[in-house]
Amino acid sequence: MNDIATEEVAPPAKPQPRITACAAPYWQYAKEEKLVLPYCSECEASFYYPRLWCPSCFNQDIIWKQLSGKGKVYSFSVIYQSPLPSYQADLPYVLAIIELEEGPRMMANVLHCDVDKVCVDMAVKVLFEARGDMKIPQFQPA
Amino acid sequence: MSYTSPVAIAAVSEMKPGRFPDMDGYDLYIEVIRQFLAEWSLKPTDIQGLLACPSGMAGGGSNDIFVHEQLYEEMGIQPLFADTMNAGGSTYGLMVQRAALAIQQGKVESVLCVGAGKFPKVSTGGAESMARMVSHEIYEFPYGTFIPALYAQVATRHMHEYGTTVEQLAEVCVSTREWALLNPDASTYGSEALTVEKVRQSRPIASPFNLYDCSIPLEGGAAFLVCSEAYAKRLNKQPAYVLGMGEFHNHRNIHQAASLTDIGCSKSAQQAYTMAGLSPSDIDFAEIYDAFSINPLVFMEELGLCPQGKGGEFFQSGAARPGGDFPVNTFGGLLSFGHTGDASGMSMIVEGIRQIMGIAGERQLDKANAGIVHSYGGMMSEHSTLILGRSAS
Repeated sequence: MNDIATEEVAPPAKPQPRITACAAPYWQYAKEEKLVLPYCSECEASFYYPRLWCPSCFNQDIIWKQLSGKGKVYSFSVIYQSPLPSYQADLPYVLAIIELEEGPRMMANVLHCDVDKVCVDMAVKVLFEARGDMKIPQFQPA
Repeated sequence: MSYTSPVAIAAVSEMKPGRFPDMDGYDLYIEVIRQFLAEWSLKPTDIQGLLACPSGMAGGGSNDIFVHEQLYEEMGIQPLFADTMNAGGSTYGLMVQRAALAIQQGKVESVLCVGAGKFPKVSTGGAESMARMVSHEIYEFPYGTFIPALYAQVATRHMHEYGTTVEQLAEVCVSTREWALLNPDASTYGSEALTVEKVRQSRPIASPFNLYDCSIPLEGGAAFLVCSEAYAKRLNKQPAYVLGMGEFHNHRNIHQAASLTDIGCSKSAQQAYTMAGLSPSDIDFAEIYDAFSINPLVFMEELGLCPQGKGGEFFQSGAARPGGDFPVNTFGGLLSFGHTGDASGMSMIVEGIRQIMGIAGERQLDKANAGIVHSYGGMMSEHSTLILGRSAS
């Protein structure tokens, strides 16, 4: 047996999202650990994910507004077997759809919790996970 | 929208699903068409239109984005109507709809709709490439998505809203396997019957799904010929009439669906019922795209075939099984027949056609005057509903 086979190999890095022009502020705020989403002043509503117009009214006059970071689990799955190399060390992990207090829903992992305790409507709050030189929003029990 | 002149499906053929490592998507296409032409007595002039779908998408290399050109040339036809189109699992239902409109417009008398599918092995990076394809590259995939984990969101929400249980999900698999045991072309034909216990004891994948809650990845393909009524009757004394059709495109990424328990199917279904002038009580059987056990359960509700929230009880009652009051997925479903990747949206349409034509062999239903076929693409994103029947009205 050679030594290389027994050496501990760092797990492959988790995916780092690609930054599109319209979402640059979202990722910049995330890096500062702030959950900031585009906000349509016509609809008086935040929306997710970032795009150049409001998907409810096509208004292109979009401002950025910080959210409370509070939400609840809308739905979820506990993942016991994943084909993704970068997630093997996390098994079992929780993939969830989070409904933010302000309305929009987003996908995220629920971290720092017993996977058997996760349930629909569970209160969660945002935290930020480093991915390379970026940070991505994640959630944990509130 | 009303039907000016009847359209019917006159000929149908499907490969037995399997693994074909020596065949690429195009080889499968040629084999599908060879089998189709061998089964039905057709001349090149009988086929005036051609619709095909890229066969390599699941592998990430869609080098066949205009596969229809190569197919019509190789077949030896010069169609008046042809395209390569793709709407995932709903592609073939939408092919029927596009073909029917072209026929009713008088552009053509017949359109061959054909599909072939490869399914990359989960273990060779296939699952990751498919996850990238069906979840948002930026806002979903970085969170460790893959296909069962995305569908599981729908199942968990249904369980929360209606008290649906994992045992009821398992009943879908049990029922579907019973049908597969009557279909010699099903990949599980000759295997053992499933039980709720076996499904629950299979290894957990993504809660609430265990292994047997997931369809079986295979490869294959199918073809059918959509025709004007006069043309159809010349080729087949009992064609399958397209009585109603509807489509609805709801979302792409599952987290963007406004509701996970009203996901767009009810809207395509309503169009189909209205066009057919039928209501759910007129339907004898259903063929429903079932990538996972949750699908037929929610779609039975959205198709109006059982009350909202009662899909679990419906399957638990045994009504969907052979001999039951309302047969569902009589070919064995993608769960037990096999899921042929890009061509998976063919299998439920093929079975609907066969039941209406009365050529479904041992599993032929006694009563198959009208059947509903629902297929969708993406993460239950875009929907096609067809109502097929034995007579034009």
